[in-house]
Amino acid sequence: MKFQGTVLLVDDEAHIRKFIGLILRQFSIPRLLEASNGEEALEIYSREKPDLVLLDVNMPKMGGLETLKQLRVMNPDCVVVMLTSLATRQTIEEAAELGATNYIRKDTPKEEIAAALQETLEANFDLSEENPPSHEPHP
Amino acid sequence: MDQDLSLPIIDLVGRKILIVDDDRINLRILGGILKTERYNLTLAESGEAALEAYAAQRPDLVLLDVMLPGIDGFEICRRLKATYGADSAPIIFITAKAESDDVVQGLAAGGVDYLPKPFKPKEVVARIRTHLQSRLLVEQQKHLVEQLSKANDAKNRFLGMAAHDLRNPLASIRGLAEFLSDGTVGPLTPDQLDLVTTIHGASQSMLDLVNELLDLATIEAGELKLALEPHDLAALLEKSVFLNNIEAAKKQTKVTFSRTGESPRPTIDQAKIRQVADNLISNAIKFSPPGSTITVEINGGPDGFGFSVKDQGPGIPDSERDKLFKDFGKLSVKPTAGEKSTGLGLAICRKIVDAHSGSIMAQNLPHRGCEFRVTLPCPK
Repeated sequence: MKFQGTVLLVDDEAHIRKFIGLILRQFSIPRLLEASNGEEALEIYSREKPDLVLLDVNMPKMGGLETLKQLRVMNPDCVVVMLTSLATRQTIEEAAELGATNYIRKDTPKEEIAAALQETLEANFDLSEENPPSHEPHP
Repeated sequence: MDQDLSLPIIDLVGRKILIVDDDRINLRILGGILKTERYNLTLAESGEAALEAYAAQRPDLVLLDVMLPGIDGFEICRRLKATYGADSAPIIFITAKAESDDVVQGLAAGGVDYLPKPFKPKEVVARIRTHLQSRLLVEQQKHLVEQLSKANDAKNRFLGMAAHDLRNPLASIRGLAEFLSDGTVGPLTPDQLDLVTTIHGASQSMLDLVNELLDLATIEAGELKLALEPHDLAALLEKSVFLNNIEAAKKQTKVTFSRTGESPRPTIDQAKIRQVADNLISNAIKFSPPGSTITVEINGGPDGFGFSVKDQGPGIPDSERDKLFKDFGKLSVKPTAGEKSTGLGLAICRKIVDAHSGSIMAQNLPHRGCEFRVTLPCPK
């Protein structure tokens, strides 16, 4: 079981990107892109068409929910997992309504984050070795 | 708290006193007696005039004759109490010496005291001073309570914000230290491993503290919202016991829980009660000597369902029992492997259980150890 796609990791805090990046290592992701804000995320998304976006909710200027809204305009099928720490139920529900696939609490132990990522990958992608990612890059 | 029993000095000069009497001679005598006190006196000769003057002046104290033409003194007193409630000024009745029935009736109508005629100047001055002072003290106290409550809200907001901003960096420090120590990024020398393990432990305990401060701030701000639904108590405890046994094994202790019969399904906020169970069990592990056993049991009774956690640790010193469930209430008893405690865990447990209208109590066991027992109300 292996994820063959590209992941875009969006968080304004460098230490979080480093931490989540290390957790992602165990999934041997072929290509990991990083963005430190919403604008940058949209720019990279339109250029690189990643298969999975891990998106921080709480960012200065363009927050995660607004970024999510615009990502969905670019590609209504994009798979976006929100990264939260103390998000309220309301924020999480709002993200779900905007089309987020799942949310992961980034302040939990790394094993829990890894398990949540594994679950997301299994639920959204065909992980058999022969197949490329099930989500076609958007034209 | 230590109490300072000396009265604070309150300046009584210029305080407003309303004197109501239809006898001008009495008014003049009282005015003369009180002259040296330099109060701000207002005089009224009838009940109607008294009510008007009260509304206009809002005096600090009222001297009120019982026998008045029209509305009598008792009725004025009742009307003032009805209109101004707890805020109304203290009322002292002026009575003729022999009228002991009047005194009783006056006090029943809401008066605080009475001044018998003929007046004894020293008595008049002393009684008025006393009542003015106690009135002003009550006002001061109200003001203080308001200020304290505002300061407490500000503290909670500050705690919330600080904890919020500390949380993510701490979680990263902990996580990154773990990656260093588990060899993900290459092998470490024993010395390096020792340092990294220390960083991991320190960041973990800071994170615990920050989380507990946040819980406390949320609870104190009245933002603890329970998502109540019937939940299988045994399943909840099983999960908690399973995870806590990992930590227990490191200290050669174990946590046992056996599911017997049908599990009760109390109406609870599952995550919050899980937090209480985790806290009680991890506390028991912290204070248990190696080789000992912690027993978790479900209790059921007419008062409700609940669970208990029994350990074989040193128990709770009698002199410290009242500190147990208070914020930052650390006891002199120390964890057996130098674990950290914030002194907030049990305070939070109690607040969560209180929010469920349940109860939490602790008692020492006959031979050794202690028992924490949580009771949750019966499902209706």
